[in-house]
Amino acid sequence: MPAVSKGDGMRGLAVFISDIRNCKSKEAEIKRINKELANIRSKFKGDKALDGYSKKKYVCKLLFIFLLGHDIDFGHMEAVNLLSSNKYTEKQIGYLFISVLVNSNSELIRLINNAIKNDLASRNPTFMCLALHCIANVGSREMGEAFAADIPRILVAGDSMDSVKQSAALCLLRLYKASPDLVPMGEWTARVVHLLNDQHMGVVTAAVSLITCLCKKNPDDFKTCVSLAVSRLSRIVSSASTDLQDYTYYFVPAPWLSVKLLRLLQCYPPPEDAAVKGRLVECLETVLNKAQEPPKSKKVQHSNAKNAILFETISLIIHYDSEPNLLVRACNQLGQFLQHRETNLRYLALESMCTLASSEFSHEAVKTHIDTVINALKTERDVSVRQRAADLLYAMCDRSNAKQIVSEMLRYLETADYAIREEIVLKVAILAEKYAVDYSWYVDTILNLIRIAGDYVSEEVWYRVLQIVTNRDDVQGYAAKTVFEALQAPACHENMVKVGGYILGEFGNLIAGDPRSSPPVQFSLLHSKFHLCSVATRALLLSTYIKFINLFPETKATIQGVLRAGSQLRNADVELQQRAVEYLTLSSVASTDVLATVLEEMPPFPERESSILAKLKRKKGPGAGSALDDGRRDPSSNDINGGMEPTPSTVSTPSPSADLLGLRAAPPPAAPPASAGAGNLLVDVFDGPAAQPSLGPTPEEAFLSELEPPAPESPMALLADPAPAADPGPEDIGPPIPEADELLNKFVCKNNGVLFENQLLQIGVKSEFRQNLGRMYLFYGNKTSVQFQNFSPTVVHPGDLQTHILSGPAQPPASPRRPSSPWGSRLTQLAVQTKRVAAQVDGGAQVQQVLNIECLRDFLTPPLLSVRFRYGGAPQALTLKLPVTINKFFQPTEMAAQDFFQRWKQLSLPQQEAQKIFKANHPMDAEVTKAKLLGFGSALLDNVDPNPENFVGAGIIQTKALQVGCLLRLEPNAQAQMYRLTLRTSKEPVSRHLCELLAQQF
Amino acid sequence: MIGGLFIYNHKGEVLISRVYRDDIGRNAVDAFRVNVIHARQQVRSPVTNIARTSFFHVKRSNIWLAAVTKQNVNAAMVFEFLYKMCDVMAAYFGKISEENIKNNFVLIYELLDEILDFGYPQNSETGALKTFITQQGIKSQTKEEQSQITSQVTGQIGWRREGIKYRRNELFLDVLESVNLLMSPQGQVLSAHVSGRVVMKSYLSGMPECKFGMNDKIVIEKQGKGTADETSKRCLRQESCGKQSIAIDDCTFHQCVRLSKFDSERSISFIPPDGEFELMRYRTTKDIILPFRVIPLVREVGRTKLEVKVVIKSNFKPSLLAQKIEVRIPTPLNTSGVQVICMKGKAKYKASENAIVWKIKRMAGMKESQISAEIELLPTNDKKKWARPPISMNFEVPFAPSGLKVRYLKVFEPKLNYSDHDVIKWVRYIGRSGIYETRC
Repeated sequence: MPAVSKGDGMRGLAVFISDIRNCKSKEAEIKRINKELANIRSKFKGDKALDGYSKKKYVCKLLFIFLLGHDIDFGHMEAVNLLSSNKYTEKQIGYLFISVLVNSNSELIRLINNAIKNDLASRNPTFMCLALHCIANVGSREMGEAFAADIPRILVAGDSMDSVKQSAALCLLRLYKASPDLVPMGEWTARVVHLLNDQHMGVVTAAVSLITCLCKKNPDDFKTCVSLAVSRLSRIVSSASTDLQDYTYYFVPAPWLSVKLLRLLQCYPPPEDAAVKGRLVECLETVLNKAQEPPKSKKVQHSNAKNAILFETISLIIHYDSEPNLLVRACNQLGQFLQHRETNLRYLALESMCTLASSEFSHEAVKTHIDTVINALKTERDVSVRQRAADLLYAMCDRSNAKQIVSEMLRYLETADYAIREEIVLKVAILAEKYAVDYSWYVDTILNLIRIAGDYVSEEVWYRVLQIVTNRDDVQGYAAKTVFEALQAPACHENMVKVGGYILGEFGNLIAGDPRSSPPVQFSLLHSKFHLCSVATRALLLSTYIKFINLFPETKATIQGVLRAGSQLRNADVELQQRAVEYLTLSSVASTDVLATVLEEMPPFPERESSILAKLKRKKGPGAGSALDDGRRDPSSNDINGGMEPTPSTVSTPSPSADLLGLRAAPPPAAPPASAGAGNLLVDVFDGPAAQPSLGPTPEEAFLSELEPPAPESPMALLADPAPAADPGPEDIGPPIPEADELLNKFVCKNNGVLFENQLLQIGVKSEFRQNLGRMYLFYGNKTSVQFQNFSPTVVHPGDLQTHILSGPAQPPASPRRPSSPWGSRLTQLAVQTKRVAAQVDGGAQVQQVLNIECLRDFLTPPLLSVRFRYGGAPQALTLKLPVTINKFFQPTEMAAQDFFQRWKQLSLPQQEAQKIFKANHPMDAEVTKAKLLGFGSALLDNVDPNPENFVGAGIIQTKALQVGCLLRLEPNAQAQMYRLTLRTSKEPVSRHLCELLAQQF
Repeated sequence: MIGGLFIYNHKGEVLISRVYRDDIGRNAVDAFRVNVIHARQQVRSPVTNIARTSFFHVKRSNIWLAAVTKQNVNAAMVFEFLYKMCDVMAAYFGKISEENIKNNFVLIYELLDEILDFGYPQNSETGALKTFITQQGIKSQTKEEQSQITSQVTGQIGWRREGIKYRRNELFLDVLESVNLLMSPQGQVLSAHVSGRVVMKSYLSGMPECKFGMNDKIVIEKQGKGTADETSKRCLRQESCGKQSIAIDDCTFHQCVRLSKFDSERSISFIPPDGEFELMRYRTTKDIILPFRVIPLVREVGRTKLEVKVVIKSNFKPSLLAQKIEVRIPTPLNTSGVQVICMKGKAKYKASENAIVWKIKRMAGMKESQISAEIELLPTNDKKKWARPPISMNFEVPFAPSGLKVRYLKVFEPKLNYSDHDVIKWVRYIGRSGIYETRC
């Protein structure tokens, strides 16, 4: 055997690499590689044992060849052999090969894992580090499964070297990120936190990374880290630049560690302990102070490190949002950066300021920089910076500066980058609407918007201006005049034609007095654009024409001529053709009175949330939320235009009612309020007329139909509630809605959830039962932005039950009473006590009703819940089944197998038993079945039935009058997908009823 | 039209750069280097489009020739030109190599000026070019000579100058064919074709008119119709020869051939350029004589051993001798050792090419020879099966595998006093292997 001590250099490898580098062509390189591969293969053939040095050399060559892009399918075994070597270089190459070329061969994996295990168990820190690095580099699930338990032990072991701890922390972090479920939480977590106090800065840095990641999942487990982090941070911040020798980077002490600590603190709310908090505030102040000091070095690394800490500090301050002083100081600091030479700094400053603007403490401070920001918007060379500037302008806008900001944004729009135009258009539209003091300014702004950037004006924007003009009498004349002027431009955008057509059709009469805008002039102006427009716009214009016939009878002949023209009557587009035909007939057949009724001015639109905002949110994605919430946090913004304002909660949280119920997981965020959900104006526009009883016939609707993009839900869908058209009498409860039974079934095995939901209303349920008593909370959530009036939920027992009641032994029956009485309704089987609720439910709000329930004796039909209210003037009624079933009063009973069988035999009368064999509707999962049976209320008895597949339960139904013992047995048959359910109770109807109830659950 | 022409060495350094049109900028040179020569993946397409600029390239040994254009040109024309350019350079200074190009760059620029004008290809006939582009330095030419060159280059017969005189009028004709084959392991022909060239070297005085005839099926049949009795005689004679006429699938001619005459009478008549030139190219697919048959036998013995036996049989007249025979037997990628036994020639395992190469210097017709090899394999982790690439073969035989025969080559020079009989003619047939593969 050749001497092993040849030094670290591998001559063969060096020669090989230089050969490859000297190859003149690709072909020559491939030839050389093939030759080398054949050589290595012949060496690895196994005729004679190779010494460690040559093994290492050949494995290195293979690695090099692999990195050149060739497939390597052998040599793994040799590499694994190297792992068990005691020489560092050989072990290192072995690990390198394994981590680059990991192979899923199970045999090898076992060997590799074994080698790693040995190294982890060795007391040699370098070997342990190598093994840890290998685990982290591979990071596969198998590795995680094998070692996830060992690594925490190494991490917190008292005798581990610093370097090993560091590697272990990072390795654990990697495994946790790859597959969080594999890393077991345990007592080590508490000890990990104490690593923050470690002497060695490297260990602390690694530990902070790990803790930051871990505490995102389990914030409570790591709560103690806050005070440790604060003290560590304050030690670093207050240290002189020379204190931390190795960890001082260009005169900044431990910048990476500081940034990581600050990030960690951002995972938690401000510390409650005053001492800790004081110390932290001191730290943050020190950082802000240091930013003011002259730089200690001109090097860019120095300022980078310093600024990194500063920005992280500012984001922590913003995160806490509780220290006005700090917030203002942060804002001033950022203000300095706004004019910094460095583009990156300007970008970061704008971005951070955006979030600062949303804090009430620093909003004013941010506003002082408006000129700089506007300047940035105009002169900045980098588009991403301009984008941030636009965001910030939007965020800092309030009533005082709205005009300035809107006009600046409009001016910028002319030269803006195409990528951000649509967004700016939306922002301008929103700001203009939100902060409009007088509506002529609003109309001017939007028309300007259409003029400047017509292509980027989405439908929502111009729908919105039409709504507002229609709803505001004072602005209609002005709007008509402005639109008319705008249309006179030689080239105007199609959106402008649409707006113009609509407004002139509605309010053209307001400017008809002026000879310059007399009816024929208006008509010819609109008609001159007709041929240049798309079909949708033409259709709208046709509706405008028919409206003109009503407004200005003198134009009738001209317009009929236009409608009669072959290009309309025989238009290839069926929509245009139909309109032309219908309007022509309408104008010639109907009398002026009829015309006037049919073509009446549009009724005002119901006030509701602006659909533009929803659109902007969709466009920006969830990340932009914070910047957009500004207006809502700004307390001053909610006054004059209150009606126009979006109701805060409906927009910011997708489903407020669900949140209040604490049922976040239960239903997917229910279709949010109409406008945000569909995002189109359909609902906005159509609600009004649909709810109007004096709704005009088709032309009116047709006129509107341009305003609605084809939407999946028809306008009538809103009214498709089970509410009968006629207002039901006060005592007259409608039949339960068809889905009522289905809804009820959902609650047989659970107590909380959403009982009912449609476009208007969401009803959530939360209930608890003990013995024969129960308490139920009903939550009524108004999903619209309009107030519900005369809101009255009532609980009654269906009439057909009265006979049963009479036959019952308890008190005389009480007829269902209005909820105004303290005892809502009293029944012999079930006593339900309701509390009165407010008669008005505001848009987006939620009211709660408490029901106290007492089960007097066994009952079969659940009580009914009837909800009645007026929405937008139309009465709505809704009847549901209250989710109270007999099984709610189940009391689980534990018993041994002997007892069970004894009782089972006792209840052997045929009428006491109910049995049902049915097909499974859901996948047959034992766990799910178990959960359902437990939810049903009975105790689950293990080891009772000889067949472990079967489920056996026992319980007692508690009523005031009597107690019903109940035994059940469920036998699943997985092959046939069938169940057999047997119930034995002491009362025959109860058996049958329970059997039916339970059978529906599987 | 061609906007520019670049020549690179294998490293992508520009050796020659000639731009003909303004739409080609300097960065085009770099674009080709970056995107083709230095491309991460080997670029296989000879045409590459980079930023609306088309690059057409051919590679000769380590030298890249690239023609660049922004227009929608006829790609076939561009490649024809590039190949012609290679021929011209080879005629001037031999092998196209980096060193030769560096030594002759003045000449190459001169040639590029002459054979391309504003991107349009001009006269690229070597014989004609050599009259006025020489390597001997500047030779002052008289006015007469100059005007003579002008009239020749611009005249009707641009490829031949007047007043050539030889003491011995000689003519060499080579029929060069390459035969391509793909055969199944059972000996079934999956595809086969022959592509051939007729190359001529003429040393003839004056402006001779030549006529070339071969056993083209169409010509033979046409003549057969002409005179019935003669046909029967010829048929008899042909049958006695054994080889009938051949069907040519397609052919192309040198510019000197009168195409009108070929179209009407299918006779090949021309005034040849002086020196060497390629008279025609053709391709046949029917009735090909396959000179060799390869019979492979591969047996896998367990996971670590492979036994290969290959028999080759020569399938032509015993009197003929094939030369330069080389059989290449691919080996699996995990080969760790090879033992070869062969009766004839030399065989060797070449690890760099992953193949056993078996060389035989000479082999007569109707013989057979065999090789057997034991290949040891290294067990690998991959379950990937070996793809078994085909066994390929190289050889050279002294006949035309397509069956083409030269029937006559007549020379007429009415002005000078030599006749067809005075011209010494040499005809030679060489058949080579193209891609000659048998699956195993």
